[in-house]
Amino acid sequence: MNPTFFSRREALMRAGGGLGWLACAALLDKTGWNAMAASGNPLAPKRPPLQPRAKSVIWIFANGGPSQVDTWDYKPELQKRDGQTLEGFDPKTGFFPGSAGALMKSPFEWAQHGASGTWGSDLFPHLNRHVDKMAFVHSCWTGSNNHSPALFMMNTGITRMGSPCVGSWVTYGLGSEAESLPSFVVMSDPLNRGLPKGNALNWGAGFLPSVYQGTWLKPSGEPIENLKPEIAGNTQRAQLDLLGRLNRRGLAESPIESELSARIESFELAYRMQTAAPEAFAIHEEPEHIKTAYGIGTQHCGHFAAQCLMARRMVERGVRFVQIYSGGMENQQSWDCHSDLVGNHRGFALEADQPVAALLADLEQRGMLKDTLVVWAGEFGRTPVAQKAAKPGRDHNPHAFTAWMAGGGVKGGVHYGETDEVGYKAVRDKVHVRDFHATLLALLGLDHEKLSFRFQGLDQRLTGVESARVITDLFA
Amino acid sequence: MSESRLSRLLRPVVPSLFWFISLPGALSAADLPDDHAARMKAGLGAFDAEIRAVLNDHCLKCHGGAKTKGEFDLAVREGLLKGGADGPSVVPFHPEKSRLLKMLRHEEEPYMPENKPRLPDSVIEKIAAWIGNGAPYSAPLVAGRKEERDRSKVTDEDRSWWAFQPLGAPAVPPGTAAHPVDRFLAAKAAGKGPAPEADRRTLVRRATLDLTGLPPTPEEVTEFLEDQKPGAWERLIDRLLARPAYGERWARHWMDVARYGESSGFEQDYDRTGSYHYRDFLIDAFNRDLPFPEFVRLQLAADEYRPGDVRSLAATAFLTLGVFPTQITVNELERVRYEDMDDMLSTTGSAFLGLTVGCARCHDHKFDPIPSRDYYRMLATFTGTVRSEPELDLNPEETARKKAEWRGKLDAATTSVRQREAELRRTLEQFLERDLPSFPAVEGWAVWGAAPQPGTWERREDGSLSSKAAPASGKLQWEGALACENVHGFRVEAMSDRDLPGGGAGHAKNGTFEVRTVRVERENPDGSWTAVNLANAIAGSSGADLLPEGKGWKGTAKGGVAAWKFEQAQLGSGHWRVQMEVGQGGKAAPGRIRLAFLLGADSKLDAEWMDERVAALLQQKQRPGTAFEAQQHLEGWWFRRDPEYRKRDAARVSLAGAEPKGLTKVLVGSESFPAVRYHTAGGAVETYKETFFLKRGNVGLKDGVATPGFLQALSRAPETRWNWNPPAGATYAGKRRQLAEWILDAESGAGALSARVFVNRLWQHHFGRGIVSSPNDFGKSGVAPTHPELLDWLASEFLKTGGGIKAMHRLLMTSAAYRQACIKDPEAIAADPDNQYFLRRVPRRLEAEAVRDSVLAVSGRLDPTLYGPPVSAEETPRRSVYLRVKRSKLLNTMVSFDQPEPLVSQGIRPTTTVTPQALMLLNSRLVRDSATAFASRIRKLTGDNAPIAAQVAAGYRLALGREPEPDERQMAVEFLSAESARSGGKTGLAEWCQVLLELNEFAYLP
Repeated sequence: MNPTFFSRREALMRAGGGLGWLACAALLDKTGWNAMAASGNPLAPKRPPLQPRAKSVIWIFANGGPSQVDTWDYKPELQKRDGQTLEGFDPKTGFFPGSAGALMKSPFEWAQHGASGTWGSDLFPHLNRHVDKMAFVHSCWTGSNNHSPALFMMNTGITRMGSPCVGSWVTYGLGSEAESLPSFVVMSDPLNRGLPKGNALNWGAGFLPSVYQGTWLKPSGEPIENLKPEIAGNTQRAQLDLLGRLNRRGLAESPIESELSARIESFELAYRMQTAAPEAFAIHEEPEHIKTAYGIGTQHCGHFAAQCLMARRMVERGVRFVQIYSGGMENQQSWDCHSDLVGNHRGFALEADQPVAALLADLEQRGMLKDTLVVWAGEFGRTPVAQKAAKPGRDHNPHAFTAWMAGGGVKGGVHYGETDEVGYKAVRDKVHVRDFHATLLALLGLDHEKLSFRFQGLDQRLTGVESARVITDLFA
Repeated sequence: MSESRLSRLLRPVVPSLFWFISLPGALSAADLPDDHAARMKAGLGAFDAEIRAVLNDHCLKCHGGAKTKGEFDLAVREGLLKGGADGPSVVPFHPEKSRLLKMLRHEEEPYMPENKPRLPDSVIEKIAAWIGNGAPYSAPLVAGRKEERDRSKVTDEDRSWWAFQPLGAPAVPPGTAAHPVDRFLAAKAAGKGPAPEADRRTLVRRATLDLTGLPPTPEEVTEFLEDQKPGAWERLIDRLLARPAYGERWARHWMDVARYGESSGFEQDYDRTGSYHYRDFLIDAFNRDLPFPEFVRLQLAADEYRPGDVRSLAATAFLTLGVFPTQITVNELERVRYEDMDDMLSTTGSAFLGLTVGCARCHDHKFDPIPSRDYYRMLATFTGTVRSEPELDLNPEETARKKAEWRGKLDAATTSVRQREAELRRTLEQFLERDLPSFPAVEGWAVWGAAPQPGTWERREDGSLSSKAAPASGKLQWEGALACENVHGFRVEAMSDRDLPGGGAGHAKNGTFEVRTVRVERENPDGSWTAVNLANAIAGSSGADLLPEGKGWKGTAKGGVAAWKFEQAQLGSGHWRVQMEVGQGGKAAPGRIRLAFLLGADSKLDAEWMDERVAALLQQKQRPGTAFEAQQHLEGWWFRRDPEYRKRDAARVSLAGAEPKGLTKVLVGSESFPAVRYHTAGGAVETYKETFFLKRGNVGLKDGVATPGFLQALSRAPETRWNWNPPAGATYAGKRRQLAEWILDAESGAGALSARVFVNRLWQHHFGRGIVSSPNDFGKSGVAPTHPELLDWLASEFLKTGGGIKAMHRLLMTSAAYRQACIKDPEAIAADPDNQYFLRRVPRRLEAEAVRDSVLAVSGRLDPTLYGPPVSAEETPRRSVYLRVKRSKLLNTMVSFDQPEPLVSQGIRPTTTVTPQALMLLNSRLVRDSATAFASRIRKLTGDNAPIAAQVAAGYRLALGREPEPDERQMAVEFLSAESARSGGKTGLAEWCQVLLELNEFAYLP
């Protein structure tokens, strides 16, 4: 979108001599988006080129790949054909070609919910009450049947590691409205079940300037270390002013000017974060009824409730993009139900159901839901056939999965796309991950074809070189 | 097209090889005509011009299109060559052997095309010619069908991959540059030369940070600046290579590759206390310039090359540093064992071969010619190799010296005690003669000599009794006369003992004990027994606790003491009985016990003690008669009363317990020591005598025994070439040594590749990016070399010097390319945005360790101690290479500055700029303390009352190796005056120093 960003900034730096962006920032109205951008802060809010429907994103990443046919993609035919062989099923669909069994019906109870009559399984009793807020995309598909490539695909638009992830692109495109908090925050499983495969590469900035990288909150102990200032505030401010002046000497002549600028900015952000972050993390200050609604302090979902509530507090404070991983690394540590589908999905649904439902309700009652896009998606779906085991599971399936969005300018209670009659492959209105990304960007007012960054001689984009489609049918 | 395939195609591959990637494996080299490349090219032309249409129109419908009759699918070339149910009908380059032509000519049934007229002769002959040209396809006949090949076979084409080629003798290209490296670079860049040389201050900073990970001291800067004679640069490099700090820095680079960690990972993440010897091996290896072949040999098989050389054994931890689950069930054992071997093989493959060998575990490698069978044959190298932590003496000479020194000290202490005893014996005689009659009423603890039942009890010097067996009855009972009289209470001590479990005090787990109840009885004149009521229970401080009702107590392995006063003083002499009920049905019995009765009314737990007979003697105020055989008990009591004796004896005892053992746990990978055991249910062994081929990596699908072997694609001689049999009686298997020799064999094995891979790593660290920018992947999914000829030349130079690593540093660093200034040249950037030509120098952020070490070094706090056990606290002033690497608790500073997770071999670190780095520099204890120390150092150097300008100059020299510019000095002065005014007298020097440590210039390698 803005390949000239840094050169314009360089011009300004030269013109302005020693006048740093901070000095400018102090003079400017906080709402002066583009004026701020011109001041040289790579995180200054930027006005998006399209009409934005949402300002921030909370992405619940159902890590490991939840089963579409057991969550939101009801398949009566699958229920009927339980135990039959699926003609045309490619045993190489999943990870374990030797273990593919017959069609397996969803072991969960299904019912219709809301005014929209949306079918939902009994995995999500709380979320089922909010289906009229959600726009379901049943025809998602992706490019890999393996976790880390699929995670990279979902997060960065490409199966290889090392490209910028969605949160980084969004922050690059829109800047941050949180002057004093990280613009892009990631929370991982706090129950020691590991990080998503590929670890920090799932929230890396890739070839984008590293200020756009996600900040990972430590799941235990202080979320951010060294946050407490050891020096009196005005002395530290004086230190940073001096540091900034010294660091900007000769900056324009450096061959790595943008990297060094990012480092200058990271000190300023760190300084502001010292007071802003503890305040944002202070979920204990929430009133009791809110805490109860999320499930704070409960055995079954207290940990996830805290993350959801923290996400709301951060978005409230201008954080642009929050990603929360539901589940740890793989297999039974996450939604990756290779065996014991029932135990696995019941467990992870129980952790997420109440907190996410409370998040939707809370955002709505605060009037924040209209500006906040809540996304629920994993990296792929599961096979409608069983993965054979004493307690059967389902294997990876890149051909179909269901994602939903809520708030942030999407229609509620709508369904887009369809899978075949047993939920094996997306067949109607197929939505590739890049279409999903394009749609997400569009909701934020960004044009996936124009949001680009020059790297290795190419204008790189989140959605890559192939064409991507914005699913406007979802827009309210 | 799938993403992975797309990305593969987008990557540079050797173009001329691309179109016959799918050459049949069935074809042996002998069947392959010499001009096959040219013929394939011609065949490809024919395919596109005519053959494709013929196949489409006449064959495809039944064979790979709508149907696949006779299992013959010619939609892809692989299918054509594989043939149908009756086997292959096309032999590329050999139309005469191709049955398909006979069917087409209606010479053999089934006639083809079936139930259709015979094709015109001209068409059949064109097909024959096409087969004669190798029957190449430019694309599958059916859109979307992938060209698949049988990857279980390794072909000559596979062997022609650039990285698998012998090195040959690459010639340095002609050119004007003096240095061969610069000639190669210029040749690639159409003669373009490097950027101008950096100034000498930058050069000394660059070289020092690069080789030692520490900034140069002002003295080192001056020394280099003042050395105006030719060869100053070379001399600087030599000085730096000679510093121990060099090994500390470059060992750390290799530790990423070796996935170095000091704990097991997984569930419990137990510490592996013996890991650090591997790190110390690396530091030492780099510092003494261990040649590369030895570097490889020792890490894979030190025990097989140097049996008996305990010190080298630590190098084999390379094999066993990986993570390992610590809680596994019996039916997981075998799988876990295969995973462990996989970790050894995958790490070996990535580290030395730059190949993702591990990918061939479940299937033939998708991109590189590594059939799954090669994987399992190579895996069999490690069939018996296990992770062990034997206690070894890594330095026997040093241990002997320390022991001799200790013995001398102990002898002196003993002599000193004996001398005091001699003096005290004289005073004892005097006491007995003169003072005993008037000795006041004795107080303290009289130790009872009675032995408990059941059990065999051994008496110790201090009157305690020790038993190796716990009483099966759950009860202990003492009974007997007490020599002294008039007692007021009762005390039980449980003491730790070398004969008890874990050297503890009791027989229970971990050496703990528990006494449920204590019952004390006294015999009546009529022979009956009366219980003595106990009151006022007290327990000792060393971890002992009274049980709730005060009738018993329990304690830790250190032992403990409990005492009770009698409700009524027990006057006169008598027979006593003591009964104890111990916990866990006897299993928690204390194993070493001392019972004592209280003399006098004051029941201090630690009051003076004496043998009961000494107590009796003092009570009776009589000299001991000859019947009192134990004069020593009296002497013991007398000696203990003397403070000087107590002091000397305590010194002797503490020395006696401190015999230097010289033994230390060492992490090893070999067949010679028992494997480290974890919580394995059932106690089954974890190694197996044989390694099997596994289908899909599944231990349930065994497919025959795999004999050790190597990658076919890299072997140019029969495998017997690397045979080596260990001597008779050896505990090792000799297979790892064979692997090492194959890895190093530049003629017929993987030696050319391993040299390329290692040299590329050295280049990468000096130049910021490897010639192959995927240093752990030289295969087809890696990135092609930007300068293949240069890489080959460097590798052959490396081998010529016998793998001298320091020589390679000198070679690379003396190039003009290394010495370029960092200049922002928009034209150069536009022409080569990624610096593919290495004709620009780009500053890069120092690694986590170098940032932290630089902070410590500049502040003067850096502790230069080499080697030793890891240090847990980030605040330690030791170098970062010594920080503990506990996998579940990776250190914040290291992680936030991009030290990789030690799970698999890592060849590259990303460089991120994130807020946690800034927070660390703003607020961490380490940086704050260092800033304060830095300020004191400046004051010390310049004098307390030195002008601010002098202090500022000193700060710049120390931190940045240069003088401050006038504006910098001005800013410093302003800052310091403002701080001084603000804080009312404090100088703010430390706060200013901290700013220097936060500067971009400080954190970047120029």
